[in-house]
Amino acid sequence: MTTLAGMEHLLADWLPSQRWFAGKDWPVSAVRVLAHTPIGSEHRVEHLVVAVDQHAPAGPTTTVYQVPVEVRPDRRDRIEHVHLGRVEAGFVYDALHDREVTGRLLERLDAGDDLGGLTFHRVEGAQVPVGVESLVLGGEQSNTSLAFGDRALLKVFRRLVPGTNPDIEVHAALARTDCPHVAPLLGWFDGTWADPGDGHPVHGSLGMLQTFLVTATDGWRLALTSVADLFAERDLHAEEVGGDFAGEAYRLGRATATVHAAMREVLPTAVWDTAQVRSTAERMHVRLDDAVHEVPAASSLAPALHAAFDELAALPGGVPVQRVHGDLHLGQVLRTSVNWKLIDFEGEPERPVDERVMLDTPVRDVAGMLRSIDYAALHTLLSEHPDDAQLAYRAGEWAQRNRGAFLDGYASVAGSAPGSHEVLLRAYETDKAVYELVYEARNRPAWTVIPLTALERLAS
Amino acid sequence: MVTHHRLPPPGSDPLWFQRAVFYEVLVRSFADSNSDGVGDLRGLIGRLDYLEWLGVDCLWLPPFFASPLRDGGYDVASYTDILPEFGTVEDFSLLLEKAHERGIRVIIDMVMNHTSDQHPWFQASRNDPDGPYGDFYVWADTDDRYPQARIIFVDTEVSNWTFDPVRRQYFWHRFFGHQPDLNFDNPAVHEAMLDALRFWLDLGVDGFRLDAVPYLYERDGTTCENLPETHAFLRSVRRMVDTEYPDRVLLCEANQWPEDVVEYFGDPAEGGDECHMAFHFPVMPRIFMAVRRESRYPISEILERTPTIPSGCQWGIFLRNHDELTLEMVTDEERDYMWAEYAFDPRMKANIGIRRRLAPLLENDRNQIELFTALLLSLPGSPVLYYGDEIGMGDNIWLGDRDGVRTPMQWTPDRNAGFSQADPGRLTLPVVMDAVYGYTVTNVEAQSRLTSSLLHWTRRMLQVRRENPAFGLGAFVDVGGSNPSVLSFVRHFGDDVVLCVNNLSRFPQPVELDLRRWEGWRPTEMTGGVPFPRIGELPYLLTVGNHGFYWFQLEPAEETS
Repeated sequence: MTTLAGMEHLLADWLPSQRWFAGKDWPVSAVRVLAHTPIGSEHRVEHLVVAVDQHAPAGPTTTVYQVPVEVRPDRRDRIEHVHLGRVEAGFVYDALHDREVTGRLLERLDAGDDLGGLTFHRVEGAQVPVGVESLVLGGEQSNTSLAFGDRALLKVFRRLVPGTNPDIEVHAALARTDCPHVAPLLGWFDGTWADPGDGHPVHGSLGMLQTFLVTATDGWRLALTSVADLFAERDLHAEEVGGDFAGEAYRLGRATATVHAAMREVLPTAVWDTAQVRSTAERMHVRLDDAVHEVPAASSLAPALHAAFDELAALPGGVPVQRVHGDLHLGQVLRTSVNWKLIDFEGEPERPVDERVMLDTPVRDVAGMLRSIDYAALHTLLSEHPDDAQLAYRAGEWAQRNRGAFLDGYASVAGSAPGSHEVLLRAYETDKAVYELVYEARNRPAWTVIPLTALERLAS
Repeated sequence: MVTHHRLPPPGSDPLWFQRAVFYEVLVRSFADSNSDGVGDLRGLIGRLDYLEWLGVDCLWLPPFFASPLRDGGYDVASYTDILPEFGTVEDFSLLLEKAHERGIRVIIDMVMNHTSDQHPWFQASRNDPDGPYGDFYVWADTDDRYPQARIIFVDTEVSNWTFDPVRRQYFWHRFFGHQPDLNFDNPAVHEAMLDALRFWLDLGVDGFRLDAVPYLYERDGTTCENLPETHAFLRSVRRMVDTEYPDRVLLCEANQWPEDVVEYFGDPAEGGDECHMAFHFPVMPRIFMAVRRESRYPISEILERTPTIPSGCQWGIFLRNHDELTLEMVTDEERDYMWAEYAFDPRMKANIGIRRRLAPLLENDRNQIELFTALLLSLPGSPVLYYGDEIGMGDNIWLGDRDGVRTPMQWTPDRNAGFSQADPGRLTLPVVMDAVYGYTVTNVEAQSRLTSSLLHWTRRMLQVRRENPAFGLGAFVDVGGSNPSVLSFVRHFGDDVVLCVNNLSRFPQPVELDLRRWEGWRPTEMTGGVPFPRIGELPYLLTVGNHGFYWFQLEPAEETS
């Protein structure tokens, strides 16, 4: 590592300014290289896995990051915005912004190379668009995504955890089905690094390559377009305005049910017995208690909401469970020219991986989408017309119509509406709204009205 | 003159139809030369200067053959005679000559599936079962054969069989009971039909719109639609045209979903060996749906699902025509997108299903009329304009079903809109007189004088289209973009690259487009010639006004250091 001497210091300065860096305000005490693998290119490219030790308010914390860097003998204008600084061996750049380097990554994915600490895999039969130039896409929170022309999307995970990323796992499994509602997986890469605590080698996912959905926009945006159209017509009902979303919501319900069915086909399933259902209900009770403690405004609703969880606990068991999306909302679905696609099967990113891959009822995803439809209806209302009772009424109609259309679409594939499992759906939706209540109270107090309104409805 | 941009003269370019703009003109309603209140061929000849000025490439004339007119002329009583009120065969020859002089081609409707029951062939067939025409139609002793064939006009017909009291047998008809189907299992019918086609080809017509082609044959155990025998007959028609009359076009009217219609182009390995063109029916309702939904997906989805067609073929697309489809006819499968949308939106169904002209359908909103027209002129396929839509003519819903959109062309603010010198009471149909679309306000003369008029705008758009082969011949690339209300696509043919950006929303919209494929190129807006910023690596940002659109020419920038 002699030629990389000084790299840790550069990274300690540079990493906190990156969008995907967690805890930007916490002082960095050390950056340690956990693994380094030369990728090989015209210039020196090192694939680095580093540990960042920080002083968080709750005590010391360590996060592991993936940082491929390029060490060049000269400076380069084109990627000057990702220049980290200088080490003995040359000028250091974030290698993901250099098209030559990313092209090399693509070649390795295509070839399925094994570089020791770094292993590339291509899905059998997949067409990797070798030779197409990449562009770093903006707007990513915890990853860096590269678009290779309009052919493929490479998602490079920045924050690393040991184990197989659930998104890769699910997509690789779904590749064995003909499910048309996901972006086909083309390949992925993983690697080995030293555990930042005990130094033992651990293995984990580093990135995945998927077909790029060039004509896509996300469902959130589509839904907001519909709501904007509704609000421009104060006297018309949701089903009367041109920008009606119900057709799309119906198709989205069908797509969701189709993906669930495909996941059942290729991933584990089980049936919950009475005890498992009870313990699920128990966790919901606890979360509700915690939420009421934090947001007393909800306390009057608590008894009725607890009753919903009691009903869940009283179910006789026999509840089918499976792998689910885990964090399904309108921002996790893309409308392409062909159909709806579900993306990001990572589950809630804040939860540990083993929790994220736990089997659950598909009602969890359905409840998530219903809550998201509610949010779409109220988002514009709260941000632009907070005191408009007429529009609030219209927004409510919009949400009801599109929730219904989504459930109808789901039922048209799954055979029965998840709504027919009323107890399950009510409990899961309540649990989700309870989570939102805490989140909004902590981050956007003015928005607690959204989950509160939902909880009032669910309590009645 | 604008002739230097016109298509090559008739006779020199077999693929002319791939770049042509068609104009559907009803002879009856366009111009009356003899003051009898009915439009005629000589009247049309008198208006060719206007059509040349407008810049259309090919006229499509719906039926003008001798007919009892119980189905708008689609009930043909003679394949080689013209309805006397329209003129004579000599008049038609003159029309061809005068149109060709101006570089305008002419195609005509040809109904092969059936004739009127007044046709001499049918009269001979019913009166003399053993005579030469006895086997020209499909006769049977019972009315129970081919039970799987659906009844197309369910509102007026109860069966595809009707009893003929003269011959005392049932005859087969897929449309009205007064339109017996010809028997294509009889080789003599083939010869008679080919001779009818030759008659008009010899006069110089540039092609035919073949009406109702899926129904030519009947076979037990089938729906009697799209049968292999029908395709075989179309191939024989095509062979005749190719050998005897190269560069004439066959435009097929098969009222079906594109993946089924594509069969009527024939063998892709041959570049297509049946019809040169076919209508792409679903595009029209999808455009209306997309603008209503303020979402590009209704359009981009149907284009994504449109199969590739053979190299020597072309789609025909339209916004309106003389005989509006009902939705039931384009959508019969439950997977169908429109069905699902319409089930949720009964208003939409009512609006599209009935026969309205473009302007009233769009509440005379100039922005929307321009957007719809721009889409028609830029989406894949040869556009078919409907007479009068270039000036935003209205309709007369009180005239009932079909006639509401067939009112006389409005030429001037004078009596009868300049259509005819007859007494107003004698007119074939009354001219539109309402306050918004009436001929005193909406007419060619007034709009010719105003360069800001819809007429001048349409003419300019046709000019721009004519100068860019990409519109007719180019590949279609949906470029997506960040905004679901903005439909953006590139048409490219050789070095002609055109970017079209359409705001389907009634509100102004921003859109970011991924145009990296053309990085370093410069867009120039095509109607005004204004250069826009060069395309870089980052998403290309545009803002588009409500229902606005842009057409950009993309050109590689000259090398800079």
